[in-house]
Order: sequence, then structure tokens, then C-alpha cells
Amino acid sequence: MNNAKMWLVVKPTVGIPLFLGAVAVGSFAVHVAVLSNTSWVADFLSGQELGSGDTAARAQEQTILPASADAADLPMYLEADAAGAESMRVILPDGRTATLVVDDLTSAALIE
Amino acid sequence: MSDDPDKVWLTGLTLKEAEEVHSYLIDGTRVFGAIALLAHVLVAVSTPWLG
Repeated sequence: MNNAKMWLVVKPTVGIPLFLGAVAVGSFAVHVAVLSNTSWVADFLSGQELGSGDTAARAQEQTILPASADAADLPMYLEADAAGAESMRVILPDGRTATLVVDDLTSAALIE
Repeated sequence: MSDDPDKVWLTGLTLKEAEEVHSYLIDGTRVFGAIALLAHVLVAVSTPWLG
């Protein structure tokens, strides 16, 4: 039989657990990869219709997006700090603000 | 490899015993493969797996 002679040099007590372990680890890894790259396995395991997780996630996104989408024609402002602190304020079209911190504002201004 | 079929090798097995061990391993692999194949066909039919 093909390859049977391997058991003349590899103890079956070592080789068989190694073989079965390799199969187990390999198949586990593949299934984890499928699980972490798709949404329908989670849907299946939680008893929902396959694909409904994606739909729910998209619906969630849409509730967040409209705030800026409505104000798309409004400009975005960048406000430098008059006191010379190393930060700037960004005013987004929908009114939200964010603070930018520049490590060295003087050098940053000099770079063309 | 020795031509003597009754030689006891380093693992304590003769060639005949090694072939017996190997036959069980092959049988087990075939059964495992058949069940896995069936399972994968069922998954491919019933889920969006592989598009």
C-alpha cells in the first residue's frame, strides 16, 4: 500500500494524533476564516434569515448618515486658533466640530 | 528498505502491521471525506457560501 512504510519509521502513537490534529486545526482555521469574513453564518446561528444581518447593518448606517447628507451643500470651515495653540477646529457641514492637533504649528505652516 | 517482511522496525512494527495501520487510516480518511463532502454540498445548496 502506498505510503504504508511511513509507520516503519514514524511511531503510530505519534503520527496518528499528529495527522488527526493537523486535520482538526486546518478545518477549524478554515471555518473561523469563513465565520469572520461573512455575515450569514452569524445569521444562521442566531436563527435569523440569511443575509438579514447585512440588511440590519445597512439600516443602522443610514440612520447615522443623513445628518451630513442633508447639509451637503454647506461649506466646511477650518478655524485656526487665534491664541497660537497647536490646534485647529474643523466645523463640519452638519454643525459638528472636531479638533485637529498639530505637533508643531510653526513648522507645519512653513512647509509649502 | 529491507526485503524481509518479518523484520521488526524501529517503531516496533513489521511491514504487514504497518500496512494494517495504514489501511485503517485510509478508511477513516475516506469516511471523513465522504461525510465532509456531503456536508459541503448541503451547505453550498442551502447558504450563500461560494456565492
